[in-house]
Amino acid sequence: MLLAVDLKAGRGDKPVARLDMLSVEAGQAALLVGPSGVGKSTLLLALAGLAHTVNGSVHIGRTDVLALRGAALDRFRGRHIGFVFQDIHLLPGLSTLDNLLLSPFAAGVGQDRARARGLLEALGVGDKADRPAERLSRGEAQRAAIARAMLLKPQLILADEPTASLDDASAQAVADLLLDAADQTGAALIIATHDGRIKARIRNQVTVEAIA
Amino acid sequence: MNLLKLVWAFIRRRPLTWAFNVLTLSTGVAVVLALVLVSQALNDRFQRDLAGVDLVIGAKGSPLQIVLSAVFQMDTPTGNISLEDARRFGASAMVARAVPVSIGDNVKGARIVGTTLDYPKLYGADLAQGRWWGQPMEAVLGASAAQRLGLKPGDSFVGAHGLVGSADLHKRFPYRVVGVLKPTGAVIDRLALTDLASVWNIHEHPDPDEAATDPNHREVTALLIKYRSAMGALMMPRLVAASPNLQPAIPAIESARLFSLLGVGAEVLQGVGAAILGLAAIGFFIALFGAVSQRRRDLALIRALGARSSLLLMIVALEAALLGFAGGIVGVAAGRALAAYAGRVSMAAASGPTLMPPSFGAIDLAAVGAALVLSLAASIGPAIIASRTDPAHELAGG
Repeated sequence: MLLAVDLKAGRGDKPVARLDMLSVEAGQAALLVGPSGVGKSTLLLALAGLAHTVNGSVHIGRTDVLALRGAALDRFRGRHIGFVFQDIHLLPGLSTLDNLLLSPFAAGVGQDRARARGLLEALGVGDKADRPAERLSRGEAQRAAIARAMLLKPQLILADEPTASLDDASAQAVADLLLDAADQTGAALIIATHDGRIKARIRNQVTVEAIA
Repeated sequence: MNLLKLVWAFIRRRPLTWAFNVLTLSTGVAVVLALVLVSQALNDRFQRDLAGVDLVIGAKGSPLQIVLSAVFQMDTPTGNISLEDARRFGASAMVARAVPVSIGDNVKGARIVGTTLDYPKLYGADLAQGRWWGQPMEAVLGASAAQRLGLKPGDSFVGAHGLVGSADLHKRFPYRVVGVLKPTGAVIDRLALTDLASVWNIHEHPDPDEAATDPNHREVTALLIKYRSAMGALMMPRLVAASPNLQPAIPAIESARLFSLLGVGAEVLQGVGAAILGLAAIGFFIALFGAVSQRRRDLALIRALGARSSLLLMIVALEAALLGFAGGIVGVAAGRALAAYAGRVSMAAASGPTLMPPSFGAIDLAAVGAALVLSLAASIGPAIIASRTDPAHELAGG
């Protein structure tokens, strides 16, 4: 499903981080590991074509991501990649449901409200669908963010430090949710993390190295 | 989920900033619109009062004063001209219509104008009740004069000497109201009209303590003239000026002069209005700029979710357009209220012209349009900056 080989990515002109090879099957998970500040986020975004400089190769399914440009890249990212950010990132002022629907809106595809509600229901926050996003607790917001990443049945879900600053129980719950999400949508799940609690659960780990 | 919902969520996040900026914009729009409405109302009013009069012949003195007193009924006359002179010029072949007016008395602030039945014809005034005057001491009241004085056909009133309310009443010569006019929106609405002879009648048989005028040298205050042809415009003023006691006054010129005098104040206010609009545009620019930098991560998220950069541009432009539209609507409402207030205030001052701002239309749409254009112009820079949001930079936290 996802195959990245000898990937180097960076901000500005020069690459700052690299990995040898990352291969994940549909419904499976892999970790990008390494000390904080090494460039895990940068490499994670590079997998979605969001990096200033990148070389190597990234294939999602049969698509050569690094060959995509402009609108084609935007369209591909919108339809086939789901994101879960460390700070969760729901937009205040919009309801939880609208935060989910922001994804198909931005991607320019049909908005399946029933599926969005169903996902919120399945993740245990169905009753919060019409609540303004800023009134959700952190745990509820995290579930909503995972639901958003699953909404368009992506081929790839990218999660950036999803368990940072969570207590053990919450971290395990988030890991469960993410693994279930990958399992249910058939997406390849990639988590950038330095969290030992996650590392203990997922074998497929790729170390990110800094480029001096 | 749609663009409007998204933009509204952004706007709601900065309620005070936007309330202030919309307020500034609407204030600028209101001031400029009110000025345009009032000056247009003034102009309409002047044109209606002029009623196509080409020339006014009055006693030697200021032509502006002659036009103000004899046409707009706002000032004291420069004096009287002899009936003989008036008849002589009125009979000229260059004149299509000559209307004499005699002023000098009032009834509770409404001027009593001695004239002929040609005067109401100038304004196309029709009777609402009663009939036209047929003999001296019969009066026909303009619509607002009748309403204000509470008089109707069959009632009587006494005139007072002078042009504003005074205690110096001509009690021995009461007028009888025989008719009331329909409203015209022109100066005639505020007048009490009567036959020329009524005025002579009163002043030739005055109270014992007043000087009587000589029936053999009857006078009128001024003569309103409409030319038969363009020839009149060339010849008449010179002929009149050549007479030792007469002063020609061309209403078109005098009212233009009056307008340019008023115009100075209007220009200052217009400058103030334009300055407020300029400030509003800068306020919009700063607020949008602040909004864009505050939500860089939100914009990056939207990009990450698959949006093209042009969507970010549209978000900012739509935000500006919505608020500009709101400012325009509020500004038009406030400008209308301001103009209506100015019209009422000028009506309250009895001698001032009553103002009726033009009805809702192109001007108001233009005002809303201008507010939109202004806010959109202010959004160009911030919108471009927003569209250049770099998700790779914003989202790679560590």
